Amino acid sequence: MPQRRRLTLLPREPTLAPGTALLLRLPAMDKLLLLAMNGFIWGLIIALIALGLAIIFGLLDIINLAHGDFFMVGTVLTWATLQQTGDFWLAFLVAPLIGFCLGAIIQRIVIQPVRNVAALSIVATFGLSLILQESVRLTFGPTPRRILPPIQATFPLFGIDYEVYRLFAAAVAFAALVGFFLFLHRTKLGTRMRAVRHDADTATAMGVPAQRVYVLTFAIGFALAALGGVVAAPITTVDFHGGVDILPFCFMAVIIGGLGNLLGTAAAAILLAVLEGTIQSFADPTAARIASLVLMSAVLLLRPQGLFKGLTR
Amino acid sequence: MTRSAAIERVFLILIAAVIVAVPWLIPALFNPFWVSVIAEILIWSLFAASVNLLFGYVGLLSFGQALYFGFGMYGVAIGIADLGLPFWPAFALGIVAAMTMALVTGIFAVRLTWHYFAIITVVFSLIFYFLALTNKWLTGGDDGINFTLPPTFQLGESQLSFTDPTFQYLFILATVTLCFWLMHRLIGSPLGKALLAIRDNDVRASLIGLNVYRLRLIAFVLAGFLAGVAGALFSFFGRYASASYMFYHVSGEAVVWTIVGGAGTLLGPIVGTSIFIFVREVVSSQWEHHELIVGLVAILVVIFAPRGLVGLWRDWLAALIERAPRAKGPLHVEPTSKP
Repeated sequence: MPQRRRLTLLPREPTLAPGTALLLRLPAMDKLLLLAMNGFIWGLIIALIALGLAIIFGLLDIINLAHGDFFMVGTVLTWATLQQTGDFWLAFLVAPLIGFCLGAIIQRIVIQPVRNVAALSIVATFGLSLILQESVRLTFGPTPRRILPPIQATFPLFGIDYEVYRLFAAAVAFAALVGFFLFLHRTKLGTRMRAVRHDADTATAMGVPAQRVYVLTFAIGFALAALGGVVAAPITTVDFHGGVDILPFCFMAVIIGGLGNLLGTAAAAILLAVLEGTIQSFADPTAARIASLVLMSAVLLLRPQGLFKGLTR
Repeated sequence: MTRSAAIERVFLILIAAVIVAVPWLIPALFNPFWVSVIAEILIWSLFAASVNLLFGYVGLLSFGQALYFGFGMYGVAIGIADLGLPFWPAFALGIVAAMTMALVTGIFAVRLTWHYFAIITVVFSLIFYFLALTNKWLTGGDDGINFTLPPTFQLGESQLSFTDPTFQYLFILATVTLCFWLMHRLIGSPLGKALLAIRDNDVRASLIGLNVYRLRLIAFVLAGFLAGVAGALFSFFGRYASASYMFYHVSGEAVVWTIVGGAGTLLGPIVGTSIFIFVREVVSSQWEHHELIVGLVAILVVIFAPRGLVGLWRDWLAALIERAPRAKGPLHVEPTSKP
């Protein structure tokens, strides 16, 4: 008799804006507002991760299937920092830094040789995703763990005690988003990144070290995802599978926002998360996910340049 | 190429003889367990062939073939468990369900190319995966549907059914072989040449009067057929169907098997699938983290053998026999223009 095999990656129900389980007994309006708010905060964090995906997609022209796992590595590094030093705040420094170095190494060893052939780069990042997940399972273990929010305070909001940490997370994510856009538009490195994106040959001719810009971009992409992981770690669970659900969501943000439209990506991430949160107040999470997938196919077919084309500049 | 082609043919005949002899050879030499592993490899090779038909011969990288695999599975399972159909009508139902779904989604999907095509195929398969998860009354969700398999052939008292492992193996082998033969014929036909023309340069193909959209759609439906047959066979083989086989990771694995084996060659998907499933079966009993090896192999192959293992083997053979210069680069030219 044939065996029923475990699939390599057990698919699960999508995790949406986390922390929605306690809200079932609230009045409809309060529930809707709370879920929309959760969605907004989650959307800001996703925007951070999706931006990393968008710059890798836009500049290196590869579909990075390991990007969700970069986020997951961020959450695990947060947990490890907390275990080693007992200080959560240190993770804000450690995780993005390690992420940056890992990103640079991965780009040099794995991505650079296959950069020009899209299909090969997809297989390479798929392999990378498996390696990251399995190494985390090997070291961190297969059981999901939770991190307590470093800010324990709560305040009353729409009938429940709302965690102050979530507001803090939103603020950090927002600050990082602003910081990234300032970096991209106000610094020399950022200008170089935009130049290579625009026209790699001309940029090289003008003396921009394109090769180094590619490494830098991939490293920044990893660091942004890892930072998203630090911010999200106390809200969601730390799990070696944590990236599997994040990846489709980030791709949705990148596509709906428009390839290459970074502001659009950030806006789309927030829009999608709020939309899913709102739908969750009267339907189950899977229905919310189906709704955003349908929205995404409509955008792909009708406005392949993204929902916001023509709005920016 | 004639001499290396001849050598390859001798190898193929030898391998084919071994594969046919598996149900008698393997239990005698090793363990009957490996017969079902090889049967499974055959089924998954057919699934990888559907990725290969689209990517290797038309230049469309689909990450959503699991959708049609799942429809093949569910066509069979729902046909037998809910509608009470016999073997062959259920088989037909699975294939028709997969092809219909491929036609409906293909009408939209093949309007896009490049990255956009890869993404919309994932999106479509995710939508139906989530629908299958939630509509448990029809699909059984993650747990799936179990059923008892009706006999394949019945003549009076005597019957042949999948309860006989040898018959099960030979039936799967015959079906998979038939599909690969059909694909071989397709590639040699005028339709196949038209598809190759689109793969190499879709603008030129349209300029010589080929209807690129319609040809891509035909290829998409044919790929749905291959995936549907594979899904139906897998459903017979496991006597169940489950939504988890529609997840995008199943499609992703088939893409990896195809490219590691060698896209654009008939045998590439079989080679890739065999290697990965053997690694899984051999290593997973000893060491739980065999996925590390899978990831590592995938990365090493794309870096050092960008034309896949079949491409590597052919280069090596050509260099050895004809002392010909090694071919460089991927097996086929990727479209260089972006949308």
